[in-house]
Amino acid sequence: MANSLRLYLTCIRNTLEAAMCLQNFPCQEVERHNKPEVELKTSPELLLKPILICRNEAEKCLIETSINSLRISLKVKQADELENILTKKFLRFLSMRAEAFQVLRRKPVQGYDLSFLITNYHCEEMQKHKLIDFIVQFMEASFHPLHLVLWSVVNYFKYYAFLWTY
Amino acid sequence: MAAVAVHQFAPCITCHAWSPDRSMVAFCPNNSEVHIYKLSEDKWEQAHILQKHDQIVSGIDWSSRANRIVTVSHDRNSYVWNYEGSEWVPTLVILRLNRAALCVQWSPQENKFAVGSGAKTVCICYYEQENNWWVSKLIRKRHNSSVTSVAWHPNNILLATTSTDGKCRVFSTFIKGVDTRDSKAGSSSDSKFGQQILQLDLSFSWAFGVNWSPSGNTLAYVGHSSTIYFVDDVGPSPLAQNVAFRDLPLRDVLFISEKVVIGVGFDCNPMVFAADESGMWSFVRFLGERKTSSTGPKYGSQFSEAFGKLYGQSKHGINNDGVDNSRQRGGVHENCITCIVPLGEAGSSTITRFSTSGLDGKVVIWDLESQQDLLEYL
Repeated sequence: MANSLRLYLTCIRNTLEAAMCLQNFPCQEVERHNKPEVELKTSPELLLKPILICRNEAEKCLIETSINSLRISLKVKQADELENILTKKFLRFLSMRAEAFQVLRRKPVQGYDLSFLITNYHCEEMQKHKLIDFIVQFMEASFHPLHLVLWSVVNYFKYYAFLWTY
Repeated sequence: MAAVAVHQFAPCITCHAWSPDRSMVAFCPNNSEVHIYKLSEDKWEQAHILQKHDQIVSGIDWSSRANRIVTVSHDRNSYVWNYEGSEWVPTLVILRLNRAALCVQWSPQENKFAVGSGAKTVCICYYEQENNWWVSKLIRKRHNSSVTSVAWHPNNILLATTSTDGKCRVFSTFIKGVDTRDSKAGSSSDSKFGQQILQLDLSFSWAFGVNWSPSGNTLAYVGHSSTIYFVDDVGPSPLAQNVAFRDLPLRDVLFISEKVVIGVGFDCNPMVFAADESGMWSFVRFLGERKTSSTGPKYGSQFSEAFGKLYGQSKHGINNDGVDNSRQRGGVHENCITCIVPLGEAGSSTITRFSTSGLDGKVVIWDLESQQDLLEYL
């Protein structure tokens, strides 16, 4: 299991290294404006082909690039209802604090659990390889506590079920 | 080492240009100002700040004969600055643009300059003596997307442009009263203003950074799909070559001789391309040293540690934590190189010194005198 996670993350890392070639580009539609083209989608020549990396049916990552911005959307594995609820709560907690993360998008893209929006301004202020490290480590580290929480919830119920029956 | 001098001027530099005597450099520190620094006794001092634009200055060019600076900005304006007394005095140029200006270059005789814009047009500006200002003529309806880069042919009439629609086009910019019909120049002086001589459809992705060789015989431009295109005998039957390389895309190119081209881009390291005797172009090597990747994977860091690494502490070091780190590319520049400017005599056919500036805020001067293997290509 750890092996496929490693492969999945390496694939995402390599794709991001190629996709994160962003530059400052003023809006072609509105004068004096500068907008992330991947969100706007009004000029199709400025968008590149989106790439979907699937680990299995339940876990996938969509990377959409344009000339000045990049959007990474993640979908995580949710085996049952309990995981579903926990994931939603945890990710909502993160999304509400999106400003502190700077690269996080407030609402995930339709069909996904979490989205990042990286613009050329982020690449100018921060170093590109460190941004990629952050995203990959985020993916690894953020879904680890989720399973810990899940296990602690399951153990809690087991303990109390034991108390009630004996 | 090929990098002779490294100067950190600002957190981030958009573009730069050198004065004719190479003692002063003008650059835009990623805001609406242009800073001019002067080299005095081995130290760089801030000499002037040119403040007239409202938005980021996207292009600067310093003419070598008349000592004039032209700046263009995302606020659709352009100014020509003349040095009078001890101050730089701006003159507004009526560009008649309704979108941002992206790039600018003085023509070889410095009586015209070309501006590429997000309005899918190219403006050719010349000085009108009667009204004492700069007037522009537009090349409209030829480009399908923003014009990212412009380059003048040595004959002062042909102009090559690249655009985000992936095509490179060559136009004639003959203006009556400014250019003279030269019988030696042949077909280029017979054409009208704005006439498209050639359209090159070689790239599948956006095209940037176009440059002519010193004789004007060869044209080179880059595509975002990590390819560089060389076109010989630009005219009715051009010969095109694609050179695809395995690293990140380039942003700008420079011919340092008829047979050697330097490309700079997202790899933070200049790349050298050379043509052999038969005219086949290929990638030779990187100019700077490449940093090797750090030690093998160690298990993961916490959130806050990972986030803290983005700024400050490890900005200049290689961190050793984390699983399978990304390799930091390039040695001298730490972020993408956006601009490359020649430092030789104007009009000379071989250049051994040039400078690059990038998003890390550094201006680096490179000299090929110490690179023996490359000198034989020149």
